[in-house]
Amino acid sequence: MSEVVLEMTDAAFRHFISSPSLTKPLGKKQGSGIFSVNLKIRKGQILGLVGPNGAGKTTLMRILAGIFPIQKGQIMYRDSELDDFSPISDFGLRSVVGHMPEQVRWQGKVSVKRTLEDIAEMRGVSYRVDGILMMVGLSEMKDSPLDQLSQGMRQRLTLATALLGSPKILLLDEPFNGLDPVAIRAFEKLLHKLTEKGVSIIISSHRVAGMVHLVDRLALIHRGQLLIEGTLKDIENEYELDNRIEIQGTGKIPDFKSILTDSASLLDTQTSEDGWLAVIRNQDRNLLKNLIESNAEINTWKTKDTDIVEMLCSATGQNLDEIGFEVISSTMIPYKSRGEEE
Amino acid sequence: MNDFEKLRSVILRQISSRLFSVRMAIMLPILILFIPGMAWGFSDPDVMLPGGVIPSSATEVMFYTSLGIVFGATMCAVLLSFDGVSKDRASGVLEIKLSQPMPRSHQSMALVIGHWFAILIPIWILWSLSFVIVNYRMGDWPSIVDGLTSFISVALILLWYVLFSLIASSHAKEQGTSIAFGVGIWFLFTFLWALVTTMVAFASGVSIGEENDAKWINLEGVLDLFSPNGVFHHLLETRLNDVERGVSPIITWFVALIWSILPWYWFNSRMKTIQP
Repeated sequence: MSEVVLEMTDAAFRHFISSPSLTKPLGKKQGSGIFSVNLKIRKGQILGLVGPNGAGKTTLMRILAGIFPIQKGQIMYRDSELDDFSPISDFGLRSVVGHMPEQVRWQGKVSVKRTLEDIAEMRGVSYRVDGILMMVGLSEMKDSPLDQLSQGMRQRLTLATALLGSPKILLLDEPFNGLDPVAIRAFEKLLHKLTEKGVSIIISSHRVAGMVHLVDRLALIHRGQLLIEGTLKDIENEYELDNRIEIQGTGKIPDFKSILTDSASLLDTQTSEDGWLAVIRNQDRNLLKNLIESNAEINTWKTKDTDIVEMLCSATGQNLDEIGFEVISSTMIPYKSRGEEE
Repeated sequence: MNDFEKLRSVILRQISSRLFSVRMAIMLPILILFIPGMAWGFSDPDVMLPGGVIPSSATEVMFYTSLGIVFGATMCAVLLSFDGVSKDRASGVLEIKLSQPMPRSHQSMALVIGHWFAILIPIWILWSLSFVIVNYRMGDWPSIVDGLTSFISVALILLWYVLFSLIASSHAKEQGTSIAFGVGIWFLFTFLWALVTTMVAFASGVSIGEENDAKWINLEGVLDLFSPNGVFHHLLETRLNDVERGVSPIITWFVALIWSILPWYWFNSRMKTIQP
């Protein structure tokens, strides 16, 4: 397993929200945020950060970017050159982390190159601007004003700002927004190249289908809590989403209770005019033989793919069939545990 | 590149981006009209100001020309810096800037000095041009100390308005609020302060507007210390012989220092806690 480059221990940050009263008209109280997050970031690996809207993903990213100082807990960083694993301040984080925020609306008459140079000066690396523009595919557009950039090009420019100063950790908040499919593929290739160089990457994205093949590890976050972090296999195991087979057939649905062994479990069955569908977990190799012997008419037999939405639903206690659009409603997303009292 | 070099570089970029902006190109004719234009008018040999005042020296003419600073340059300082923070905040660029390894205090200093110098450089050029115009029309130069005092005073009043605008810009969630606050402050100190002075005089039982009443002159002088425009004129008046408003030059310079330090400290503190 790769070495840990950054470790958050019991990290907490809560936003202050306005809470006026008669005696304190400018009073504030603690609002949403993140609570007791324990997270390890490993060298050269891509960590996917997934959670519903308002879960605290962006807050967590901003803490890691050194924008929000943590109010509780500790962040440790391993400096590979000094081989030193020690606490790091928010200013220290800004030196080693490249941050790509979500949806930056670059605008104005200033050129792309000039804009990037302005940011690069804050890192003291303005001499590297041309190389980075080439890396993100904007070298042809370097003299164009920001107003002429498409959404995808703006995303590339935001990525370019994150790559300034050769960061050891890269934070990408919804990086695929506005990118065309070819650009997404090129982007993924670029990320893999960076990981080969030892850069650790954290991606927060709602484009979960594409994350399965991209990330090495996954962290599920909900209501400011990190519910679980691990490889996709680990999380599948934890929520019993592994070793699943999806069988489709026609005719009468077989009596699975008599066919399945004790270790197996029937997760779901559906019947329709066209036939039936069953999802089974942990079945041994005799299942197909037993189904044929019971005269079942089988059309398809496939291993069920990893589904991050299912993982998220399992982790948050949501029922996949009942979820609606009102994600804010507590009845729609029951939380399992908060970790600390409100 | 050390911290100082980074800071200098960011400041220079900030200055050039504001100095050569479209906004500055629009404001420049107004500034030319207000500053050298006023110098030309007030240095006319036949000029007669309200109250029968006839400016008799270059220093006096430049004192009256300072109205161009109060009415024109300060408004331009507000218009140049009202979106210094709010524009970046609204577009998401502020989040990128805050995640750079540059201390927040340096970032705020770069914003203040960048915006300040962007307005100060053209104003100082126009102010110098006004000196030349006055000399051309009157054949008189202000003394070095008078000139130096006026240049410093102009720089300070512009700094104060830049700071007010940047503070508003850093607190505002969108640019409309920011410019409303900046223009509101300008309006208060440029036009409404006379009303405040009148109300305080009325409440204190002082005859209002009596130019020969020492109580009124002293009250007006003291209340002017609470307005940046008033302090600016106090600073210029330290070089005029026949003006006595009950405020010593030491107090005036001390108050000018307070007007510079407190808003700067406020803005710096705000930038340390600002959220994208």
